[in-house]
Amino acid sequence: MNQPDEPPPFLGTWKRVYTAVLIYVAVLISILYLFSAATAP
Amino acid sequence: MKPLDWVVLFGWLTFLVSYGLWRGRKSGTVNDYLLAGRTMPWYAMGLSIMATQASAITFISTTGQSYVDGMRFVQFYFGLPVAMVILSATAVPIFHRAKVYTAYEYLENRFDAKTRALVSGIFLIQRGLAAGLALYAPAVVLSVILGWSDQTTTILMGSLVVLYTTTGGIKAITWADVQQMAVIFVALILALFMAIHLMPQQVSFLDAVTLAGAFGKLKAVDTNFDWNNRYNLWSGLIGGMFLALAYFGCDQSQVQRYLTGKSVAQSRLSLLFNAVAKIPMQFFILFIGAMVFVLFMFVKPPVIFHPVEMGRITQSTEFKPVEDRYNAAFEARKQAAQHYLDAKHRGETLPADLEALRSTQKAFDTARQDGAKLVDKVRGSSGFNDTNYIFLSFVTNYLPAGVVGLIIAVIFSAAMSAVSGEINSLATVTVIDVYKRHFRKSATDRHYLWASRIATVFWGVYAVIFAGRGGGFGALIEAVNMIGSLFYGGMLGVFVLAFFFPKVGANGAFVGVLAGEAAIFAANRFTSISFLWYNVIGCLVVLATGVLVSKIETAKYPR
Repeated sequence: MNQPDEPPPFLGTWKRVYTAVLIYVAVLISILYLFSAATAP
Repeated sequence: MKPLDWVVLFGWLTFLVSYGLWRGRKSGTVNDYLLAGRTMPWYAMGLSIMATQASAITFISTTGQSYVDGMRFVQFYFGLPVAMVILSATAVPIFHRAKVYTAYEYLENRFDAKTRALVSGIFLIQRGLAAGLALYAPAVVLSVILGWSDQTTTILMGSLVVLYTTTGGIKAITWADVQQMAVIFVALILALFMAIHLMPQQVSFLDAVTLAGAFGKLKAVDTNFDWNNRYNLWSGLIGGMFLALAYFGCDQSQVQRYLTGKSVAQSRLSLLFNAVAKIPMQFFILFIGAMVFVLFMFVKPPVIFHPVEMGRITQSTEFKPVEDRYNAAFEARKQAAQHYLDAKHRGETLPADLEALRSTQKAFDTARQDGAKLVDKVRGSSGFNDTNYIFLSFVTNYLPAGVVGLIIAVIFSAAMSAVSGEINSLATVTVIDVYKRHFRKSATDRHYLWASRIATVFWGVYAVIFAGRGGGFGALIEAVNMIGSLFYGGMLGVFVLAFFFPKVGANGAFVGVLAGEAAIFAANRFTSISFLWYNVIGCLVVLATGVLVSKIETAKYPR
């Protein structure tokens, strides 16, 4: 029998946690892109 | 290495092995030995996953790669967090609820015994190859520093790993990994600090960043799509995601980590921790390589970073003119760099200054290539590559006593954590998917526990023997990823079929894996497509073939 999903320790639901991680990655890649552009001669 | 370095190195190794043995002392059942009794908290699993992946190769080769090729390698990890989210939502709950020891055990529940045997066989082949390579990396370290042979070093490392892995099982490995990651973080920060600290006084941190940027070393994101370009945004996001899906979703060395979790939530958190931390960590390691590149613009490095080969070519009568050209090229580059920085400070940088700076780099590279050619001539070989010695050269020649020992200890730790995880997972698959499934179906728990220990020793010895052939590979990290990519596409495809295609049957899955592997090997043999795409190609071919075969079967033999 399937056990019910244990909730995450923050943000309430796993869906919100996954969304937060994906937004974080998008921001991180954008920062790296800006870093590349800023350090290019 | 100074006496203090030896104290740090051997003190750390003794502590690590003792700590692993102590934490794993109560592994008295197969469940304890292979899955830590499913009691692990998320942070221990998360750090262990990170430690297993961050092998010695990561430190030796990634920094060297950044020195030579810049930071574009970081894009390789862009798809990893996306893969972690997908796996947290799919594979983690499925594997946990199936109560399996191995990912391949699940395939028999879903398909049949032959599919399980095929995929576990593929795992044993590819992970067995990778285990040897992961052990070879620290052999490089010691052979450089101590003048020991690769074989001596490999045997020493292999023995330590086998000792605590065989005795304590995955509990020993996981808790040892937690300690190792803590020291790894400290050593990385120290290495970066020292690289910046050792720059000449007139070169500030921002100047170092400016110079690294001028040579394109800090270009971390390349948005141009090209099938043949190994690292760009798209190959990283798509190819990297497929590779990470396969690695963390189908490779027992990773799956076994999160199977030890005390709940689905804890296992999910361990993967999401990696999703968040991996890219910054790789960026940091690559940045160290870029800073070492700038440091070596002002502090003259040896012509060849491999000290043994360097010693050999200095005996050659042809070395003097090579050295003279190298010294002149170094001085010209140093002056051009200083001139470029002075112009920058005055706000007067012209395209001609940048062009002049880059042309001195070309001359410097040519001088170094002449040195490499001389190595080949003296050795009677071809294609000499010293990328893996760049970081070690920096550590051993420029860092203070104590820090050298610590960083060497970190490289050892990283190798040991990667190899211990690999031989443990190889032993698990050998016992659960091969021995217990096909040879001894019902024996006591104690019997399987001892079978697991014997299998661990076997794979440890195998890795040591295979490591003796590691020198034939170029930049090590690419070799490891390349081997993985030859096999992961087929493995990933069959798990995607299992999770998301309920109508696909056992024969479709089996033929699909064979077709996927054939497609990957054909792509490798007959095209120049970058290896990151192999996982995508292999997975898609498995899916298409699996669905097609199942449709044909259903049409021929309607249920």
